[in-house]
Amino acid sequence: MGRRSWVGAGLGAALVGAVGVGLVVAPAGASAAPPLPPVSPEDLVSSVIRAEPGAFAGEVEVDNALGLPAVPGVPQLANGTSTVRVWSGGEGRGRVALPSPDGERTLVSDGTTRWSYDSRDRTATRAPAGEGRDGPPGEVAQDPTAAATQAVATLRQTSTVAVDGTAEVAGRPVYQLVLTPQPTERTLLREVRVAVDAETRQPLQLTVLAQGSGEPALRVGFSEITYGPQDPSLFTFTPPPGTTVRDAPARDGEQRPDGDRQGTTVGDGWDTVVIGQAPRPGEGGPQDGQDGQEGQDDPQRPEGAPDLSALGTPVSGPWGSGRVITTAVATVIVTDDGRIAAGAVPQQVLTEALAR
Amino acid sequence: MTTVSTSAPAATPASTRSVAPLGRLAAAEVRWVLRRPRTLVLLGLLALVPVALGIGIALTGGPGDGDGPGLVAAVAGNGLVLPIAALGLALSLLLPLTVATAAADALAGEAAHGTLRGLLLAPVGRVRLVVMKAAGVLTVAVLAVLVVAVVGVVTGMVVVGGPGGTMITLSGTTLGLGEALGRVALVAGWTIVQLLAVAAVALAVSAFTEHPLVVLAAVLGGLIVFGVLAAVPSLEWLQPLLLTSGWTAGADALRDPLPLDDLASSTGRALVYVVLGAAVTVWRMRRRDG
Repeated sequence: MGRRSWVGAGLGAALVGAVGVGLVVAPAGASAAPPLPPVSPEDLVSSVIRAEPGAFAGEVEVDNALGLPAVPGVPQLANGTSTVRVWSGGEGRGRVALPSPDGERTLVSDGTTRWSYDSRDRTATRAPAGEGRDGPPGEVAQDPTAAATQAVATLRQTSTVAVDGTAEVAGRPVYQLVLTPQPTERTLLREVRVAVDAETRQPLQLTVLAQGSGEPALRVGFSEITYGPQDPSLFTFTPPPGTTVRDAPARDGEQRPDGDRQGTTVGDGWDTVVIGQAPRPGEGGPQDGQDGQEGQDDPQRPEGAPDLSALGTPVSGPWGSGRVITTAVATVIVTDDGRIAAGAVPQQVLTEALAR
Repeated sequence: MTTVSTSAPAATPASTRSVAPLGRLAAAEVRWVLRRPRTLVLLGLLALVPVALGIGIALTGGPGDGDGPGLVAAVAGNGLVLPIAALGLALSLLLPLTVATAAADALAGEAAHGTLRGLLLAPVGRVRLVVMKAAGVLTVAVLAVLVVAVVGVVTGMVVVGGPGGTMITLSGTTLGLGEALGRVALVAGWTIVQLLAVAAVALAVSAFTEHPLVVLAAVLGGLIVFGVLAAVPSLEWLQPLLLTSGWTAGADALRDPLPLDDLASSTGRALVYVVLGAAVTVWRMRRRDG
């Protein structure tokens, strides 16, 4: 047993370590673009619309670099990666699990009732399954080809629509549908990519790229997906013993107050600016003549809505004054008189829109 | 001893390995380890972890909404979660301390007493010596985890109680007693593997020093350093290399359906540490002379 064998043993150990760490660490390696028959954007979009959402189970990875300010109480919005587990049984049935290190939020829909369970405070919230889920497919199902052609044509007025090769997402070959704004569009976005499963025509990944950054601002996509029928028990929910069960208040009304919904839009295409009223609870309808007397410290904000008054930097101009919140893909101005202007545009476009 | 070759110290392990003597050696080592008062005291203290947790939760009704540390909030009225929460709490420091103590005693402690020299001179292969010492540490690791798990299950069912012998998962589903115990066993096994990674590294340190305190300091210091490294955002790329960054996966056993990804990847990471630690220990012990 010479010294050489010890060196060999040492090298062997190092090799084992390196290979082992590599195996543990390395994700599924990037693979070459799979060869797929060419497809036109119109065909791709129409096949996506026509595709019936089937049953699947998967893991969605959210890679968030939007640069949203840290909103107290909503840590999920901050930059970072998070994983969401998704099951779909078709026919409006689904289950979503949002794990956190020491808890989990579970959303279950059995087709007629939606449950939301939070393990932190052990509350289950029940709501009837909204019509919103069934609405859009019912409308467009009439003529997917025409709908797709029209959708692509509308997009073409302001963007370049192309199928940019193929790739692999979650081990599935995909087409990359790429939307790029026309050079005349004054937007913060550089391009939006949607990866569509070549076989099932289900969108698997959404990537948003912003100007001036090589890394995606947002990437939401499956890291794992398995098609096929799922255990039906996944799509039922029985509140476990000791759970507080609540009926959800009419959420649609609360989440989108009228003032918000009746916002006006300025511009079209990528540099659309939406101008609306800041949400004020308990006061239906758009608010007029507030003239800043309530100021930005309105304590009555709807439950769950983040307090935006502490965010952003103050700005002022001919349109008034307010606070501007800038992120990688969007800019929001909250004026002191309660107006909100938002868009995927630079600040200047917002102030122009507000000044109108 | 019929198959032992006479050139035992220099021979490769394959030619000297014989089942009975190794078993006998390991049994002797285990007996020796379990007779140490500090081992028994540590195991007793570990048994107090789930008891204290359980009594505290039963008396106060658990921490308030969402402000409990880790999984503790999930234990209230849900006793079978107690062993998993207790294992998670103990894994952060107490369990590594226990195996590090055992590993420090195994080689560095013997060296400090001067008794390691006798073992090194004995006609026992160095690899078999390491295997025997590792068996002692392994026993302590398994016993420590079993103590926490079993006491946790008993305390959970007796003191905390639960909805009719069932476990409520974080996903809001209810598991029967059998499946709940299976989940506890899964976490226990996973914890043992994580502890073996700590133990292998501790043994490797132990092989290099004759001061047991160095081993304890290295292991606990290493755990703290790993925690600090994991908290630095710009070192995020380092996360997959850190043993401790997989230690939150234990909570996955409380989800339904059971996600095995993180449990499997953290187990793989721990096995890499085990292989590396064992290789370094063997390498060092084969050339150690005192």
